[in-house]
Amino acid sequence: MTKVGVASKWVDAFAKSFYIAKKDAKVYYFKAPNFTYGLLMPVSLFLAFSIAGQINSSLIVPGLTSLVILFGTTSIEAVAVVLERQTGTFERLLVAPVSFFTLILGKALAGLFFGLVLATALLVPLSIASGTGVANPLLVLVAIAFSSLTFSGLGVLVSVYAKWVPEAQMLSNFLRFPMAFLSGTFVPLELMPSQLRVAARFLPLTYSVEALRISMNDSAITATYWLDILVLAVFSFALFVTAAKVLQKKIE
Amino acid sequence: MDFAVTVRDLTKHYGDIIAVDHISFEVDRGEVFGFLGPNGAGKTTTIRLLTGQTRPTSGVATVARYDVVHESTKAKERVGVVPEVSNLYDEMSAWDNLIFAAQLYGVPKNEREKRAKQLLDLFEIYERRKDHVGNFSKGMKRRLTIAAALIHEPDILILDEPTTGLDVRSSRTIRNLIKELNKSGTTVFLATHYIEEADQLCQRVAIINQGKIVAVDNPEKLKVIIEEGNVIEVSFSPTQDLNDKLGSLNYVKSVSRLGDKFKLYVEDVAEVIPFVIDFARENRLKVVSINTVKPSLEDAFIKITGLSPEAMTIEKGQVQSEKKGSVG
Repeated sequence: MTKVGVASKWVDAFAKSFYIAKKDAKVYYFKAPNFTYGLLMPVSLFLAFSIAGQINSSLIVPGLTSLVILFGTTSIEAVAVVLERQTGTFERLLVAPVSFFTLILGKALAGLFFGLVLATALLVPLSIASGTGVANPLLVLVAIAFSSLTFSGLGVLVSVYAKWVPEAQMLSNFLRFPMAFLSGTFVPLELMPSQLRVAARFLPLTYSVEALRISMNDSAITATYWLDILVLAVFSFALFVTAAKVLQKKIE
Repeated sequence: MDFAVTVRDLTKHYGDIIAVDHISFEVDRGEVFGFLGPNGAGKTTTIRLLTGQTRPTSGVATVARYDVVHESTKAKERVGVVPEVSNLYDEMSAWDNLIFAAQLYGVPKNEREKRAKQLLDLFEIYERRKDHVGNFSKGMKRRLTIAAALIHEPDILILDEPTTGLDVRSSRTIRNLIKELNKSGTTVFLATHYIEEADQLCQRVAIINQGKIVAVDNPEKLKVIIEEGNVIEVSFSPTQDLNDKLGSLNYVKSVSRLGDKFKLYVEDVAEVIPFVIDFARENRLKVVSINTVKPSLEDAFIKITGLSPEAMTIEKGQVQSEKKGSVG
């Protein structure tokens, strides 16, 4: 295949991913579980901890934003993939000339847009109310986008395993809650025991929280920030590929 | 010969269950090919294999000359699929469903709206194009599902039980549409458990039972399997359930009931008739009518599969639990 042929194939695949994401936005964004699991749960959790622990707002706001992205995107993926399989509409995607990777990417893009909207809707009033401010808005947006993409990938992976929406939510909680406590969201990493600090480095939420804290509190671009973004990108890719493989295995 | 579909030794196992067992057949370009069998016979599994929704355990299948496993994307581009249960997005309008289908199949942007309008006109849903599909009747949903399957102008249309659960009028509309599509050159692969439907629409029919193809031929040739005069239709008064009793008569191989009539599949009509008359007398029944009848495709199906016509109408779950070893 020529270079032009390969490029047009990729453009075509990406366009189809985008159409799948657009359709998901229309159909699944306003389902109730997205708001209960995606918004209310992390906000309640964080309020409880922030009141008890008296954490300062420069730690609260980025942590809460990451948490909302995690819960929001994984919730929408549970609905968008599992519900679609339950109702039979997933079949429509499987019989179409769309690769598994394109399909998974489409689902994850829907999560990405959802994460962006949710995080921005939360961040703007919260940073104004708390007086935290946003040091580098563009880098904050980049951090939100990569966090959304990674957590969407995680959500899709869980969803291709699960048969029912409650099962997907349960499986997601199995991953979300330990991550929420181990990734420096409530307690800064520096204050955690060294073993837990090592464990935290295996969790994508750690990099999301760190990237958001840096970009919100520091206007200078740091190497740590870009390393966090790179790790999130690697997590995303690995999660998409694994989800596509699992889906392929499932239909065999 | 240029075949639209070829299937060679196709087999699908789900664990210990053999859903499709070494089936082979071809579908000619431009024909309506019927895939006839009871629920649970392996029809839907075969469709899932042909449309890339699952992979075969062994064997090969091509659609529009493309291998369904190794060239699945190319094969999918040439096929339109209408599943047994309409799989449209209820939350979206009819129009948006068609446009989304067009986008998935890579229909050029300037063509999408034109084709969507044409199809909605053809299927008489244009006036309801802005309505959510969730508000549509079963018949309208089915018509829209077929429209969505045609948006990319496929060479082959695969339909799985397209008239199941529809009222008479909607069923007739769908059957007429299938005929029209075939006239315009589309190859149609029609899986059905309605024998009459297969007889009316199909140029050739494959009969599948318990995952195996038991016959492939055109309906008229299949009917020849039963020699004319080996089917008796008899009606008694008062009407009551006599299947078992009639089935135990000498020379009677099987019995089916159609309303107030019983169809007896017999070895020799002349030998059987005196037994039927004696039977009526012994059971204090009046013979209202007794005729020899021309065999139908249903009679051929019964002879080939050994199944009763009632087996074709049993719900899927029932059949699967009764016949472990086949998934349809």
